[in-house]
Order: sequence, then C-alpha cells, then structure tokens
Amino acid sequence: MSIGSMIEDLIKSLFKKPVTRQYPFERQPAPERFRGKLHWDPEKCTGCQLCVKDCPANAIELIVIDKVNKRFVMRYHQDRCIYCSQCVVSCRFKCLELSDEEWEQAVTNKETLEVYYGKDEDIRFLLERAAAQPVESPCE
Amino acid sequence: MSFEPLGENRFIVPIGPQHPALKEPGHFEFVVDGEIVTGASVRLGYVHRGIEKGAEDRTWIQNLYLMERICGICSHIHATAFVQGVEKLAGVEAPPRARAIREVFAELERIHSHMLWLGVAAHEGGFDALFMYSWRDREVVMDMLEMLSGNRVHYSANLIGGVKYDLNPEMMDKIRDGLNYLEERLAHYLDVVNHDETFIGRTRGIGTMTREQAQLLGAVGPTARASNFAFDVRVDAPYAAYAEFPVEMVVAQEGDLHARFVVRILETMESIRVLRRIFDNLPESELVTRVPRRIPAGETISRVEAPRGELFYFIASSGGEKPERVKVRTPSLCNWGTVITLAVGHKLADMPMILAGIDPCFSCNDRLVMVKRNHQDPQVWTWADLRNYGIEYYR
Amino acid sequence: MNLAIHPLIVLLFFPGGLFLLASGLVFQWADRKLVARFQNRVGPRFFQPLADVLKLLAKEEIIPQGAHRGLFIALPIIALAAALTAALYVPMFGVQPFFSFQGDLIVTIYLLSALTISLGLAGANSVDRFSLVGATRTLTQLFSYEAPFLLAMIGPALAAQTWQISKINAFVGETTWFIVAQPIGFLVALVGLMGKLELPPFDAPEAETEIVAGALTEYSGRGFALFRLSKDIELVIGLTLVAAFYLGGIANPLEFLLKTGGLLLVMALLQTAFARLRIDQTVGMWWRVGALLGLVQILAILAGIYIRQWWL
Repeated sequence: MSIGSMIEDLIKSLFKKPVTRQYPFERQPAPERFRGKLHWDPEKCTGCQLCVKDCPANAIELIVIDKVNKRFVMRYHQDRCIYCSQCVVSCRFKCLELSDEEWEQAVTNKETLEVYYGKDEDIRFLLERAAAQPVESPCE
Repeated sequence: MSFEPLGENRFIVPIGPQHPALKEPGHFEFVVDGEIVTGASVRLGYVHRGIEKGAEDRTWIQNLYLMERICGICSHIHATAFVQGVEKLAGVEAPPRARAIREVFAELERIHSHMLWLGVAAHEGGFDALFMYSWRDREVVMDMLEMLSGNRVHYSANLIGGVKYDLNPEMMDKIRDGLNYLEERLAHYLDVVNHDETFIGRTRGIGTMTREQAQLLGAVGPTARASNFAFDVRVDAPYAAYAEFPVEMVVAQEGDLHARFVVRILETMESIRVLRRIFDNLPESELVTRVPRRIPAGETISRVEAPRGELFYFIASSGGEKPERVKVRTPSLCNWGTVITLAVGHKLADMPMILAGIDPCFSCNDRLVMVKRNHQDPQVWTWADLRNYGIEYYR
Repeated sequence: MNLAIHPLIVLLFFPGGLFLLASGLVFQWADRKLVARFQNRVGPRFFQPLADVLKLLAKEEIIPQGAHRGLFIALPIIALAAALTAALYVPMFGVQPFFSFQGDLIVTIYLLSALTISLGLAGANSVDRFSLVGATRTLTQLFSYEAPFLLAMIGPALAAQTWQISKINAFVGETTWFIVAQPIGFLVALVGLMGKLELPPFDAPEAETEIVAGALTEYSGRGFALFRLSKDIELVIGLTLVAAFYLGGIANPLEFLLKTGGLLLVMALLQTAFARLRIDQTVGMWWRVGALLGLVQILAILAGIYIRQWWL
C-alpha cells in the first residue's frame, strides 16, 4: 500500500523532453513496409485483371485498348483504396507496388485522387475518347 | 427520452448515444437513487454496417479485408478467424512458419489492445497519469507492428493460405529490445495497480462477479478469467501455432475490477514470454500454400481468442467464389450481460469503470433488431411467433 | 510594497480587473503546461487559455428549456464578481491590498465560497441530469472541504492575533515561515485549495467520464467563459493566500512569482499523481482526516499562544 506510486515517473518526466512528435515540423520517414500510393509498371503487365478482381474496394480499373500490343491504361481511384496490398500479392508479374514514400495524401481537390497510369499517348487516346462520348454515367 | 413526471419516483441518468467517456455510440440508462444505481439498461446497434450481409456479396479474398474492418483494435484476429475457417473448408493448412507469424501478430495485437485498455480504464477512474504513460509505452508495440506490416492498425497480414509478411533476424532483434522495455514498464504498472491507495479505492471490491455469475451470464475472455472461470481458446482448442508455442492461462480469484486489471496485465506479460519463445525457434517453411478460388461447399465454425475473449465465426460455402453466409459473434456482445447485472447496487461514479472493465468494443456490437410494427404486440415475440415468421420468410 | 493609485484604476486595470483576468489565464496555462510535462506531453501554447476564452465569448449562448432565464444569465456574473472582489483584500502580485479592514479574511473566504455556491446553483437551475448530479456533488464537496480549509486559514490568523490579511502577511514576514511552524495547516490548506478549485483528484463534481461537465454541462458561450475565468482567478487568489500565510508572506512581485509558482508546481504534481476520488471518498477523507488534522493544528497553536503568554 502506498500513495502516489507514480510520483517517481512524474518527476522524472518534468526533466525529460516530451515524447510527442511535433509532426508537421519534424517529419520522420515511414517504415520500409509502409503501404502508400499504388504504382504500376505497364511494361510487365499482361492484362490478366487479377488485381481488379481481388481488390476489396474496387479501386483499380484496367482499361484494355489493345491487348496484343500491350496497350493498357490503369485508372487508380486513390480515394477508394484501403491500402491492403492484396493487388500486390495477387499480381503474378510483380508490376504493382505500394510506395513507402508517398504517405501525406490529404488533398483539397477530389479530382486529383483519380490517377491514370500508362503510356502518355494511351492516356491521351483514352481521355479523348471519353470526351467524345459525353453521355457517361457519373457513377462509373 | 421524456422527462419523468415528479410523481414517479425514478431518476434516470441517460448516458449516450454518444458515451462521454468512451466516445463511442451506445446508450445506457441508469436508474439512480441518490448516487446508488438501482437499475440499468443498454441499447446498442447504432453502428450497424451490415457487414454479415455485405460478406455474401464479396469474394473470399475481398471478404478477408471486410472482416478485418469489423474492429480496428482486433483487426488481425478477425481476419485470422475468417481465414482459418476458409482454410478448413478448403481442406488446406497454412505452412508452419505462416502459422507462427499469425501468432506473432495476434500476440502483439493483444499487447497493444490490453495496454490501450489499461489507459482507457485508468482514464475512466480519473487516473490520467497512468493513462498517458501506458499509451506512451503502447507506441513501442505500435511501432513494432508498423515495422512488420507497414500499418499501425489494419495490418492485413493474413492471406487465405498463409501470411504476407515474413520476419527477419534484424526485425526480431528490434522487437526483442522493445519487449524488454515493455516488460519492465508493465511490471511497474502492475505494481501501481496493486499498490496505489487511491486507485485501489476505485477498483477493489467494485463490480465483483462470482464464477457462477460469469458462467450464467456467458462472460468470455479476461472478464471471465478474472472471475476464476478458466476458459481460453488458445489453451482449450489451440489454433494457429498455439499447439507448438503454448501460452499459460492467467486466472484470478477475486472477480472484481482490480482482478481484471491484474489478469490483463499478466496476460500481456505472458504474451511477451511466448513471443520470445517463437523468435527463438521460428520454423522454416514457405509463407503461403495455394488455395483454390472456389471453396468447396460446406459449413464450418472457427474459434479464436481475441484480446477481449472468444471470437466465433460460422462460415457456410455453396462451392462458389463467394460465401453463402458468414456469422460473427464478437466477445464484447457476450459480456454486456455482466455490465447490466453488476451495475445494480454500485455508485454512479463506478459506472464508467464497470463499463470499461469488460473492455467494450462498440463496433463489434454491430447488431440490428427489427421489430415489425403490424404484429399484434410489437415488443414481445413468442417462440412460436418467431418460428412462424422464419417459415414464412423462407417460403 | 505600497502604491498610491486612483481607486478606479485599481478596480479596472491594476491589480484588479484586466490585470487579474490576464494573470488568471497565465496561471491556468502554467497549470496545464506543468500537468502536461509531468505526463511527458507537450501541453498547450501560451495563448491557448486566451484563445479558449475569446472563442467562447464569440459563441452563441444557448439558454436551455426549463432553466430560470434570469438566474442562468446572472450566476456566471455573480461568480466572476465574487472572485474579482475577493482579490481586492489579498496582497496580489506583492502589492499591498487596496482595501483592508479588521476581518477581511472572513470576507475573502466567504466570497470564494460564493463562487462555488453560484456554481452549484447554476447546476441546480437546470433539468439536465448531469447538471443536477454535478450540482449535488459540488455542494456536497463544498460542505466537506470548507471547514478544514477555514481552520487552516484561521491558524496563521490566531498566531498573528489579527483577522486582517495585510497584517497577517506583514506578521508572517517577520517570523519563521509558518510552513515550518504549522506544517499540518499548510498541507490542509493546499489540499483544501485543490478541493475548492475542483482539481483532480477532487474533480468528482465535474468528472467528464461520468457526468460530462457536471454543473456546467448546459452552459455554453459567455456563461461558460465567465465561470472558467472566475475559476482561474480563484486559483490565483488561493495560491496567493496560501503563499502569504504559510510561505513567509508576500512583500514584492518577485516573491509573489517565486512562491506562487512553487506552490503551483506542487499542486500540479498532486493533480497528476492520484486517481479521482468518488464523492463519498472525498467527504469521508475530509471529515475523518482533514477536519481532525485542522482541529489538532488549531489546538496546538492555541496551546502555543497560551504557553507563551504564561511564560512572559
């Protein structure tokens, strides 16, 4: 039985630096296995669509323009992604990767969260095609 | 809630739907006579998300991540219960190393959950120093989990048929260092909980539950073990690698709040010991076995010991890519009866601590009761009524 | 230190009025910062209490249904006025009190209790259950710590043979510190002050995990800000009184800063070191231990005075 068993800790703390991390002023790197923004390497992709099928949040769309010439565009909905890395595990050709550097992902504009991956001309082709067909449901 | 007329001699203190202390959605009504509670009721289900129904619409792999999100604090153990059920249905077994790593994650999660609880319960008793210090030290185990999986809360370490993340020697050394520190701190907190006069005044003899009551009310987990009811799925029905790396069950006799503190802290220290044993003899094997995308038809149950008690899954498959039915029974749901029973006769000031004593997880109480209005007596359904309703529904 | 200032300036700016409000905010900040450092946290920045008060003052004030409108508005003002008035009789900031008469010690203690009573009334003037429970607890606590605290304040007065705060202050400055002569009285006074301010572990009347904010649950905006300000001022006055009586008196601003600062450090440590006491435990502790200790101290002082008179 004693009164104030923690007084020793308390007095020690008075002479110690607070443990609180002053986050926006002092940034610490994320751990190596951190699961951040998804990156896609179009060179290795075969368009098997396994990642699309397994994604629990429907965050990945793989749009095939020409399968024989390997012309794919990946539309990645970053706002839906739950960063579970199932797509990385499902991919048999190791063309997906979650970044451990991009982890400050708060934005004020929702449109920047829709990311297109692929060759520039393919993306341009796709966007032009989408612009030509204005009647597209907003839910897509 | 209406204001009781003066003629009626009942003074009800409502707590919730937003609980002032736990910051979670649950509604409690305590009938008080002065400061003494003479009756209690609970209403849950404010966070019904329809997860069990949603599971029927997702593939087995997608469901893994849905189950993980039932609860933030015990995310790994929910996924473990689910994958073990699925593996049993598919007739495969995860490789030994994968099972050991599952146990590593589960025990680290238990440490983090119990330390979180220690802080919350201390805060309920107005002991903010213990709250701040236990949460400060909890960051150590959070950092370990972050190092292993990349995330602090949703580790997503499980796969159907194995695990995603391997352990390497450097990681194990780092975790060993952290565990040494944690063990020292936990011994100190045990000392504080056992010897601090003001804290004992708030815990000893409060919310005492006998072994018979615990059994009768269906209590599980540390709440039951604090009442000398020796029941732990890890010991009674070993899963993952608990057969190779067994844990010792921690049981206390008293059954009061103080016993629940002691049981949880000792359990955390037991977790640290079993983690060291696993790191010393981690089996070598691959991490994943192949599991078909279509799971053979059948039904199974899967039981694991979550930090809060026994977690129960029922999984039925019809042979397709999606489950036919997934039923989850969470440990928090089993423990509510004890709160309502134990509250009576105690002071209003003890209510937050009795409530926190079972380590309630409100997102696990995701249940919906629908009362059909056109029935003659909407509140009371007899067994015959229910049976008829079921027959009509499935006709 | 004795300054000659126009009474209006005394009331409005220094050392009453604005300066007192500002010092209340500074002491609140120091208290929060110290508690945070004891818990290994960073704590608020220096402008946080001011920012809180300004935010509250700018907010809408909601008068709940079932509460007496006049009382609801008047009570925070009475509380603040009581606290501000009490400061006039106390040697604040090391300056001699500006109004002083025989018996002002009793008036000061009465004014400080008026604050607690208006807090209790504010809780009772509501149909909200948390407020009602909080009000009951506030008044129960008032009855428990008030007697021991008063006994602890009377001790130095008896020794100095006067009921005037300024004279006690001067008397204490010339003899040994009363913390040495009357250690029990000091302890009871310090802990009694914590009970008066509803600081942990005596914060059962406003225990946030049980009854949200206790008596002040229904208060928002201006009323809440005024109640908080009056609590802050009570903190400064209480610390000044205890320092003046037991720590060798307060003769200049430097002594004021050092002595009240030291007391605040000890009080912050006591705030963090214990679990909250239930209201029945608080009452039991004060009447069983606190009041007895206070009485023993008083008896010891009386005996001392008697023996000295007999001796000379």
